[in-house]
This record gives sequence, C-alpha cells and structure tokens, in this order.
Amino acid sequence: MRKAMKGNVSLIAGSIMVSITFALLILSFIWTPYDPLAVNPEDSFAGVSMRHILGADKIGRDILSQIIVGSRVTLFVAALAVTIAMTLGVSAGILIAVASRRYQSPMIYAVNIALAFPAALLAIILAAVYGASTITAVTAIGLATAAAVAQVTRRTAHGILASDYVLAAHASGASTWRIIRKHVMPNLRASLLIQASAAVSVSVLAESSLSYLGLGTPPPAPSWGRMLAGSQQYLFVNPLLAIWPGIAIVIVVLGFNLVGDGVREVFDPTLRRSDS
Amino acid sequence: MSLLEVRDLTISFGSKKVVDCITFTLEKGARIGLIGESGSGKSMTSLAIMGLLPDTATISGSITFEGQELIGLSDREHSRLRGNRIGMVFQEPLTALNPLMRIGKQIAGPLMIHKGSSLKEGLKKALELCTKVGLPDPDRILRAYPHQLSGGQRQRIGLAIALACEPALLIADEPTTALDVTVQREVLNLINALVDKEGSSLIFVTHDLPVVSAMTENVAVMQLGKIVENASVASLFHEPAHEYSRRLISAARLAEDSFSGKGGQL
Repeated sequence: MRKAMKGNVSLIAGSIMVSITFALLILSFIWTPYDPLAVNPEDSFAGVSMRHILGADKIGRDILSQIIVGSRVTLFVAALAVTIAMTLGVSAGILIAVASRRYQSPMIYAVNIALAFPAALLAIILAAVYGASTITAVTAIGLATAAAVAQVTRRTAHGILASDYVLAAHASGASTWRIIRKHVMPNLRASLLIQASAAVSVSVLAESSLSYLGLGTPPPAPSWGRMLAGSQQYLFVNPLLAIWPGIAIVIVVLGFNLVGDGVREVFDPTLRRSDS
Repeated sequence: MSLLEVRDLTISFGSKKVVDCITFTLEKGARIGLIGESGSGKSMTSLAIMGLLPDTATISGSITFEGQELIGLSDREHSRLRGNRIGMVFQEPLTALNPLMRIGKQIAGPLMIHKGSSLKEGLKKALELCTKVGLPDPDRILRAYPHQLSGGQRQRIGLAIALACEPALLIADEPTTALDVTVQREVLNLINALVDKEGSSLIFVTHDLPVVSAMTENVAVMQLGKIVENASVASLFHEPAHEYSRRLISAARLAEDSFSGKGGQL
C-alpha cells in the first residue's frame, strides 16, 4: 500500500480528507464539546472563542458539536445511497449490455426515462407519501444515481464485450456468466471506482440540498445541509455560520473524488511501474 | 468421415451476402489455407465454424465437425467444442488477451472450463504449455500481464491457449499479420511444428500467399464471399485458373523479384 501511495498526490490528499470525515464520525460517538442540541440563549451568535471554537448559532447551540454529530447523517446517507446506486446500477447496466438486441432498446429507454426523472421530484413524492426522513432522502438519491450508474456501466460493459479478448474467451468456450465474472467485472473496476466516488459526492451534495429544502433529515437532528439552510437568514449577521458546514461538505466531496481518482491508478496494471 | 465438412455455407447480414455458398472438406490431420483480401469472407467462415458470428448474421448450409452438425447448435452445446475440440488463434495478440488478467490464468482458462481442472492444476499445465510454445522463463511469464510481453511472446501465449485442450482442429486467423517480419517466421515455424506434433488439422486464414504456401498443402482462394479456386499450393503457383489467383501470384512474385534484384527499382 505504501508503494501505491508513493507519488500519488490525489490518493494521499483524498485519504487525508476522507480520514478527517471518518475521524469526526468516530468522535461523534465518544465526545463532543457540548450537547449539539443544547439551547443556550446567552451564547446566541457567539463568535469564534475558546468557549465555542467555531462559534454558536442563533439559539446558542455549539457549531463544532453540530458539525461532529452531523457527520453521522452525511456518511450514513452516502454509504446507503451509494450501495443502492451501485448495486442496482451495475447489475442493470451489465444485464442490458449482455441482453439480446431485442430486449436491449426497451431497457435503454427505461434507463433514460429514469435518468430524466429529477431526484428532487422523487424525493418530494417520497416525502409526501412517507413523510420526510433520512430514509426517503436516501432512497430518492440512491434510485436517481442508479440510473446514471447503469448508463455508464452499460456503455463501458458494451465496449468490453465487443473487445477481442472477450471474443477470444468465447472461443475458449467460456460461458456468458464466466465472461461477466472474469473479463467484464475486472475491466469495469476502474470505471466503477470512479463512479462510486462520484456517487459519494453526488449523494452528500444531494442530501445537503434535500435537507436544505426540508426534504431530508427532520429537525432537530443536526445535518450539514440543514445547518447551511438555517444559516441563510443570518448570512449578513454571521457569515461564519454558513462557512463551517460548507467547508465540511467540501472536504467530504473533494476527498472521495480524489481517492477515486488515485485508486484507479493503483488498480490499473498498465499505469503501474513494472512490478511483476 | 472427414473431420470437417462445410457444404453450401452462406452467411448474410440483411441482404448482403458475405459468404456465398462455399463448400470444402478437411480430413483429420490435413491442412487448408483460406486466402483472400479483406471482405472476402474468410474470417466470417472461421467464425461460423466457431459459432461466434454476431447475432445479426443469418446463416444457412451445413457445417459438420466430427459428424456433428454445427449450424443450429445451441450456444451452450457449441461452447463445449470451442477451445476444446476446436482452438482458435487471433490476429491481434495484444487485444486478444485480457489486459487485467495474469497470463497464467488466461492459459489455464480453457482447461478449467473443459477439463474441470482446478486453478492449481491449470497453472501447472500452463507451465508445460509455455515451455511447449518456446517461451523462456515460463515462471515469470505466467505471473506477467499481457502488456509486459512482446508481440511475438503474446502470440505464443495465444497459441498455448488455443492448444491447451489438444483440439482436433486449429483455426489460425491471420496469426502473423500483426507481427514483425522476423518474428512472423518464428511463429509460423512454431505453428507448423506443433500442429504436426499434435496431429491436429489446421485452417490457416491469411491474405498473404507466401505465408500460406509455407503452412498448407491446399489453398482455397476466396473473393467476394465465394471460393473461386481450390487447389494445391504447387498447382496454384504453376497454373492458376482464376484471374484473382493470378493477381495474388504476381504480387508475391513482385516481392520476390525485388529481393533478387530482377524487379528493378522499387
């Protein structure tokens, strides 16, 4: 692993950012400076100080504590939404790619329709039916991302299936299932990693926007998106309130993107220096 | 009974016939060269025998192999023959190998599919096969990825994969076209030696007359999907019956003459 990290700037920088996020997650279960929900009117809009390291919001809740606990929602949403998106998207994409021509185009149309359906609208519908919660947000984000993953997976898998080495594998008597396992999946891996890391970023951003719109995690549980929404009214009084959750979101999104980029390099033997 | 009998084979895409009613037979241990320019249908013929035509192709006629009719065979039944009774070597040794799989596993593939070998047994056999196709340091080669090998080495791997299950028929589709001229000769000699040793039959597809004359005793000349001439190499050279055969020969002579200085400037 150390060898893989060497000189791989995006992997190093990304790993640090992702580690910070996970450190916050672990910290949230052990210790926070204050109870993130504790209301403390005399600290209303307290600035950066020893008492409140990142300040406090209108009703005096400690920002640092909220950021630490907010990492739970963010990472939970990211993990679950990405799992849904990747599982559904990759299986659908491969299935469409290997399907016979006759079934291919209706399935491609179905994916395109799903792709055109806005995630926010899906979230609104789900929230209207089941009440806004983290789960409705996750489902909406997962399903919407799955369509994009399916689209990219289908195209990449299609290219792999048309390659000479798949023809050669057929000529060796390999079954379709064996070709999917031994040839399509390994050659998809680089593209899947990039998609997964992009999906993490997309879901973190989507969760933030849905929470901002009131379609995600309901109050009072702290979420970075809702902190951002709440700080909007006081943007001119106390701009720092918007900056802290913003920075947190940027670190997660950028971190996962950089890791995805860096890991691709590690997994591609043609990009590695010779090490057989 | 012949090993392979192709009768009235016609392959078309829509209304376009790429192979038009061709017939030839191949005895056990015999060799035939399919020669023709690109688009003459020679590669499509070999893909039809393998059962690997794209699903947009329509096919009629008859191909019998070891007494079994191949046209209309389900893909599953056909795949039991592929890589097992019929081996195939491809034109591009680079793209015909999975870039992300170590060589050892790729050679062991057909053995695991057809002979029920474990990966360990497969790799052991792969080691023997590497030696058989004349690769030095087989231990290192088995652990290498395709991009770490030269074109000639990769084509030897392709040959090892095709011959892993000791097929009765080897189809070589322009196996040396993508190689350096000096390496070409080595790979051709190797195919010659191995096919002799295994007693396999050989279908050798090429557009290059001198190459085919080094490999086979009989040649079927294809043009626009038809076999226009089917003769021994010797008689084709001395009395070519078809116009296209004459052109092939004069092209080959031109190359020869320019070497011996008779062709003047080039």
